[in-house]
Amino acid sequence: MASFESHRSCAYGLLAGFVLLAFGPSLADAQQHASGFAVERLYQSAPGAGWFVMDDLDISSRLGGAVSLSSGYARNPLVITGPDGKQKLAVVSEEAFVDFGAAITHDRFRGYIDFPVPLLLGGTSGTIGEYQFTAPSVSFGTNPDTVSDPRIGFDIRFLGEPGGLLRLGAGAQLLFPSGNRSDYLTDDKYRAMFRFLAAGDAGRFTYAGQLGVQVRTLNDAPVPGSPNRSEFLYGISGGRRFAGSRGWAVVAGPEIFGETAFRAFFSGETATEALLTGRFEHTGTGRNLRIKLGVGHALVQNFGAAQWRVVFGVEMFGHK
Amino acid sequence: MRFWSLLLAVVRYLNCPERRATVFNGYRCGVPDRSLGQANLPRVLIARSTMRVLVGFLLASSLASAQNGSPGPRPSDEFSFMQRLADKGLHDIENESWNAYGQFTYISSWKPSFDAPYTNLNGSINSLLPTAERSFTGTATLYLGVRLWKGAEGYLVPELISERPLSQLKGLGGAIQNFELQKGGTETPQIYHSRIFIKQTFGLGGKTLVEESGPLQLATHYDSRRIVLVAGNFSILDFFDTNAFDVDPRDGFLGLGFMTYGAYDFASDARGYSYGGVAQLFWDDWAVRVGRITPPKEPNQLPVDFRLFKYYGDQMEAEHKHKIHGQEGMVRVLAFRNHEDMGRFSDAITAFEANPNENAATCTGFNYGSQNADAPDLCWARKSNVKKGIGAFAEQYIGHDIGVFGRAMYADGQTEVDAYTSDDRSATIGLLAKGSSWSRPKDVAGIGGNAGWISSIHAKYLGMGGVDGFVGDGAITAAAERSLDLFYSAHFRAVYWLTGDYQHITNPGFNAARGPVNVFTVRIHGQF
Repeated sequence: MASFESHRSCAYGLLAGFVLLAFGPSLADAQQHASGFAVERLYQSAPGAGWFVMDDLDISSRLGGAVSLSSGYARNPLVITGPDGKQKLAVVSEEAFVDFGAAITHDRFRGYIDFPVPLLLGGTSGTIGEYQFTAPSVSFGTNPDTVSDPRIGFDIRFLGEPGGLLRLGAGAQLLFPSGNRSDYLTDDKYRAMFRFLAAGDAGRFTYAGQLGVQVRTLNDAPVPGSPNRSEFLYGISGGRRFAGSRGWAVVAGPEIFGETAFRAFFSGETATEALLTGRFEHTGTGRNLRIKLGVGHALVQNFGAAQWRVVFGVEMFGHK
Repeated sequence: MRFWSLLLAVVRYLNCPERRATVFNGYRCGVPDRSLGQANLPRVLIARSTMRVLVGFLLASSLASAQNGSPGPRPSDEFSFMQRLADKGLHDIENESWNAYGQFTYISSWKPSFDAPYTNLNGSINSLLPTAERSFTGTATLYLGVRLWKGAEGYLVPELISERPLSQLKGLGGAIQNFELQKGGTETPQIYHSRIFIKQTFGLGGKTLVEESGPLQLATHYDSRRIVLVAGNFSILDFFDTNAFDVDPRDGFLGLGFMTYGAYDFASDARGYSYGGVAQLFWDDWAVRVGRITPPKEPNQLPVDFRLFKYYGDQMEAEHKHKIHGQEGMVRVLAFRNHEDMGRFSDAITAFEANPNENAATCTGFNYGSQNADAPDLCWARKSNVKKGIGAFAEQYIGHDIGVFGRAMYADGQTEVDAYTSDDRSATIGLLAKGSSWSRPKDVAGIGGNAGWISSIHAKYLGMGGVDGFVGDGAITAAAERSLDLFYSAHFRAVYWLTGDYQHITNPGFNAARGPVNVFTVRIHGQF
């Protein structure tokens, strides 16, 4: 009897093994692998544009230029939530970058270039539903010269003057694919942005806003948290200026910005972040300096919005 | 046609062991006697070869890739975006607060088939393929500079590259035919930052020198006595062993061996760039510089080891400028010492002889992929090791816009190539002439010879079937790898240069059993 039971359990084991062998590969095949995309959502404004994301449109009427260096750290910029709403996977749990930019301005026009250099990307690999996510593994040592999606941009102020109550303008950017998609650095496709810009100054108060479109051809839907073609961009900022001595001033105020996929308008594929920013700046001369610091938190944390982030920037700008 | 035909004839003559007997017999060297019975065959062969060259050039159409040649200065009479701004009164080009320059270069090379009794013997992988091949590189570079504060300059150089090397960049030492080629490059264009660094100058007096605007150089005035500190990401060749006569390498010789000493295995990543610092002291006609830079984590790979106190490349150079009969010249001496994670040939051989299971096919650590189970491999020998070398360079104008230069280096030859070429010893001589004497002052012509040697232990390792980062045919008849490089670079339409280049490479991969190899190259270069 014992022998019969033993044989029966052995047969069940073999049967279970056979079933696993037979169906295991097909189960694995059913899983789809997420390929990665450009996870960064902090689309910085042009060098010399004042805010981190918004644009103050304060373009001097003379020939001028600006150079900028910014760096930041983002925590949990890509957390995927499972179908049950409980399971969460931080595919990209940390991201650090340094960003170099240069701009040239003349009259009411600005042309600029921007080169983001990733310093660190890391996260947790895992499976959510039927999708398998592989976390990026980027460090400055292994990627010593990577540039992720550099861009060129062009802005124009078509209404208003520097220091005025209302300035209106528009901007266009072209992003060149660079870096590895699996590292969440790029879509591996060209992208473009078109923005309608507004800004102004009223006494000690200053503000800026934008509405725009990011033309994005990557569509990874239905992979959760992934791009779903073109997106609507929005943002607003406001601050108060505190005058200091010798031409120095501090401008403090919030910036709120985000984007939503047109195909899922303000539903799951929407990201909104708020940054509390402070700028220590010396302006109004031929050679100016601005030091910026921003600390932010996601208002809608998905689709690449960081749970929290810290950003630091330095801008030198001026004119002949 | 006559030029190329003559060139082929000269080359075949030079390679013919019975050259005295055959010099008046046309091109019979290496051709079976019975085929010479057909009187027109030599002409047919030459015509075919020439047609291949021309067709190769005509078909060289796909867009393509940069090692690390430091750009030359931009004379004020050449077109540039900055000069255009200055002409309009929008830029002070004598005392710049910023500048921007750019370049693009496309190089297409064609290598006809050559004789080789064996290729990649016993599973080795580093032979130059004997079949006809085409190679290309395409690069586009933006040089951005800005004055940060008094005496401080910041530079950012993004670059784009696409490339297809000959034989996956295997089979040649310092005679690699195109200095733009990078290890690990692809035909898919890649964008990267080649340089991000800060330069701080402290004046110490002396005469005032004018530094003209150019890539990696803001126009300014310097003291002839000064200290210059550099920190960041750069090519060490931006500061050490800079180009002969300041000729931009993209206008000059194409061979890798002409860019610097072939045996100067300077620490760098796979593209030829490094992180670190350089300190320079200029004292009138004298200059002394020292630098410490980062090596790759694994030999010839892109990831960088930032542990600058553990692994590093140190170099020191002394330079003196002089005049002989009113003609300017310069002499330099350079020494380097690399402390890196790399293998010694003797250790690899010892490991293999002690335990044949520790062979090239059984590597467990980083290796180049050889499947030769009867060969030693450096993967079993990598540890903290030292490589040293010393070299000298001299350049001398011998007439108006004509100069000669030469450089030679001796490295210890005990360890593998970690970054540059497989040469353990190298020597180069060359002559460069600008076209002022034939009324084309922006044209450049040059002829030069380059030779590289390997040490006896390196030769023994290769002879046992081992491979290093570039060479290893599975067997070797050790000899000096030599290359002859001649080029003419013609300037046209203000911003373009069109170059024709021929290289004749003898003993490719230091192996007298293979070759010789001919490489024909055309290059178009534009700068703004």
